[in-house]
Amino acid sequence: MSSGGGQSRRVFGLAAAHLRHEWILTLCLVSALAAVLAPLLILLGLKEGTIETLRDRLVQDPVYREIRPALTRTFDQQWLERLRQHPGVAFLTPTILPASSMLHLSGGAGENELIDLIPSAPGDPLLLENGGRIPLEGECVLSSEAARRLGVTTGAMVTARVTRSRAGHLETVQQSLVVVAVLSPRAGTLARVYTTLDFVEDVESYKEGRAVSSRGWGGDSARPYLSFDGVLVISRTPLDPIARTGLVVNTGLLKAEPMTQAAFTALTGLTLAEAWHAYDLSLPSGSVTFASISALQRKLRGRESLLLPYARRMRLRLPDAERALMGYSVSAAWAAKLSWPAAPWGELSANALNADRLLQILLPGDTADSGVALTVRFDGIEPLRFPLRAAGASGSQVALIPAELLGMLRTARDRVVSYRAESGGLLLERAGYRGFRLYARSIDDVPVLVEQLRRDGLEVVAAVEAISRIQVLDRGLTRLFWLIALLAVIGAGAVLIASLVAAVERERKDLGILRLLGLARTDVFLFPVFQGVMIALFGVALAWLGYLSLAEVINRLFGSELAPGQAICRLPESDSWVVLAATLLLALLSSLIAAWKATLIDPAEAIREE
Amino acid sequence: MSSAATPGEAERSRPESERSGAVLLLRQLVKSRTQAGSTFQLTVPELQVYPGEFVAIIGESGCGKSTLLDLLALISKPDSAASFQLTFSAGEAQDLAALWRYADETALAGIRRRWLGYVLQTGGLLPYLNVRDNLLLPRRINRMPPDHGRVLAMAQRMGVADCMPRRPDSLSGGQRQRVAVLRALTHSPRLVLADEPTAAVDRQRAHLIVRDLRSLARDEGLSVIMVTHDLDLVGSVADSSYGFELTQVTEHRIHSCLYREACR
Repeated sequence: MSSGGGQSRRVFGLAAAHLRHEWILTLCLVSALAAVLAPLLILLGLKEGTIETLRDRLVQDPVYREIRPALTRTFDQQWLERLRQHPGVAFLTPTILPASSMLHLSGGAGENELIDLIPSAPGDPLLLENGGRIPLEGECVLSSEAARRLGVTTGAMVTARVTRSRAGHLETVQQSLVVVAVLSPRAGTLARVYTTLDFVEDVESYKEGRAVSSRGWGGDSARPYLSFDGVLVISRTPLDPIARTGLVVNTGLLKAEPMTQAAFTALTGLTLAEAWHAYDLSLPSGSVTFASISALQRKLRGRESLLLPYARRMRLRLPDAERALMGYSVSAAWAAKLSWPAAPWGELSANALNADRLLQILLPGDTADSGVALTVRFDGIEPLRFPLRAAGASGSQVALIPAELLGMLRTARDRVVSYRAESGGLLLERAGYRGFRLYARSIDDVPVLVEQLRRDGLEVVAAVEAISRIQVLDRGLTRLFWLIALLAVIGAGAVLIASLVAAVERERKDLGILRLLGLARTDVFLFPVFQGVMIALFGVALAWLGYLSLAEVINRLFGSELAPGQAICRLPESDSWVVLAATLLLALLSSLIAAWKATLIDPAEAIREE
Repeated sequence: MSSAATPGEAERSRPESERSGAVLLLRQLVKSRTQAGSTFQLTVPELQVYPGEFVAIIGESGCGKSTLLDLLALISKPDSAASFQLTFSAGEAQDLAALWRYADETALAGIRRRWLGYVLQTGGLLPYLNVRDNLLLPRRINRMPPDHGRVLAMAQRMGVADCMPRRPDSLSGGQRQRVAVLRALTHSPRLVLADEPTAAVDRQRAHLIVRDLRSLARDEGLSVIMVTHDLDLVGSVADSSYGFELTQVTEHRIHSCLYREACR
């Protein structure tokens, strides 16, 4: 029997019929609401449109998204890679020292201009958004100033000449580059040439004196320098403390400690005869360079002594075992004197560093096949794999390699060392980059990134101010808008409350009849609520119509000063739903008083009308 | 006009102990109202209405008609009642006194919605619905299918079939009351309460409307309680009629008692 609640659809129909019946009053209410909403929408549209246009001008110019370090510093590959992974970063390319990046360019007319060389890479917004494209190997992109000075245009061939001074001589190499694009002047007023990062790195290497074999540019090889944890001195005569101190002075070493036979064996795997004395010369931290060893050699001249540079914590990984590793460059005479194995590569020499001599090993045991490929692993760096030629047995548990090779491997603790099969040697990779050129994904990401980089202690250059000026303006306008909106909401709310309450008062009798017909209090509660919602819907629709027409007029009036696609007055799609939801909420809240009053109506009032 | 063969008459002729099937059974009901310092107390010793019966309650204004109607329409709570039952299907008596005690407004509104029809003095039609929608409203509120055929047939009997698409404010007083009467019947209630349904029309039309209500109600098998001051209007159609006996107890206290008048 009590099929009680849930007459809401019925009530909705009745509320709608009532609004239709009193259509003049309804129209008044809808118009009043629209009259409040439409100017608000226009205001919001003007704010959004203006800010958007200002932002567009920044957004369209990648210069405003650029971040670069204010000072030259070394950035290692991992750090840059981490930065590149930041969600706000759209593009990042490392750069090199400004001094290394100048090169002479000459166009067809023979002009010779000193122009800044900048690396680029796929995705570079500076090039892509300024009419350029990404240069490949053998190609370059010129800034408008560079193109003007060289007198060339797209498609021309330019010659890059890299000059260096080495051992008192000027040396020059050159490379031809095709100009694939000339950037618009917006990309910058300086004369610049953009090429691949590889080319820029090669130019830097050449300028620093190294050879670039892939381009046929001569110079020093990029061989890892030698470094050690310490050096053992083996002497026929004992060294008193004064002599030991004398050894340390001016050699870059700090400590010189006597060493027991046991400690010596533990470190080297070699046995020292009783007649000999061993001393450990080292530094508390840092590396012992070959210069220190040379200085020691000079100091020990005339004394019957041998130097064994060493590196701790070095392990050699064989296919089936792991071995301690010792540097062992000893002449045949010394090997015989100490009853140690003969080293096929001979004594310590910083001048004989060819691969044939260095890539050899004396292995523990006798299972040594010639030319076995071994992986050498170190603490704290990537494993390095390269072939070593087994040249004999070490006669102990420790594998012996040339001390020069050990020194190069130890350098890999501080720097990246790689093996190049084609040159047959170890190669010291570049130390890192001296700067970077970063583009944020959007101008809003720039302040965030700048803030983060500054927190990391890196002072950067970015157009943060231009961006924050707009953000300040945006915030100010938003605040202003909300103040006006607040006023309007209060007004619209009052109008809705008053008219809905008045409607309930007018409708007392009819609502009483509905109660008498069997509608519950909760059903008549919905009557003003539905009416408020319907008025809000129509009000928003009318206001939106008004906004659209007025916005069209405004945009036509001011459109001539804007770029295509820009508008002075525009609202994002999502805002229309926000406005609708907010108005519905307002209507809902405003109808509550009327709804509450409706529930107080007694069915008896319908009976007792006269 | 009336016939002796109405179900009510048959029931009433039996001994009281055997009586059953009363749509409305009211015993020892008391309701008092205080207004501006004067107390008015209505007592209903007994009121029984049988299916198909047309009951007239006759009294001048101020004698307790409205108070009684409020009680019957389940919108006013009795002070006390020995028995207050509505029975719409055999053996399922609704104990209204208990529902009032529990203040079960939803159940009371539900009973009112489904089983009661109400004809107001001035029609009480919703001005913003046309006649058809006004007539269908009680059915819709009860989630009954509209059944246009039935409603149209009833409208033809009441002579207002032409008025279906019109708004109430374009109807004459007589048409409006006829529509009001119809609206109280479209959802097939069991008990129709009519409050001076012909107060706003002339005498001749009033007689016709009451007669049509009487015949429609009988055909539908539903009971009618009609409250009026006009004995002449109902005298010829009522199966039974009640009157009020007023007693001035003190200066500020009036007692009214419903009594059954002898049938003609």
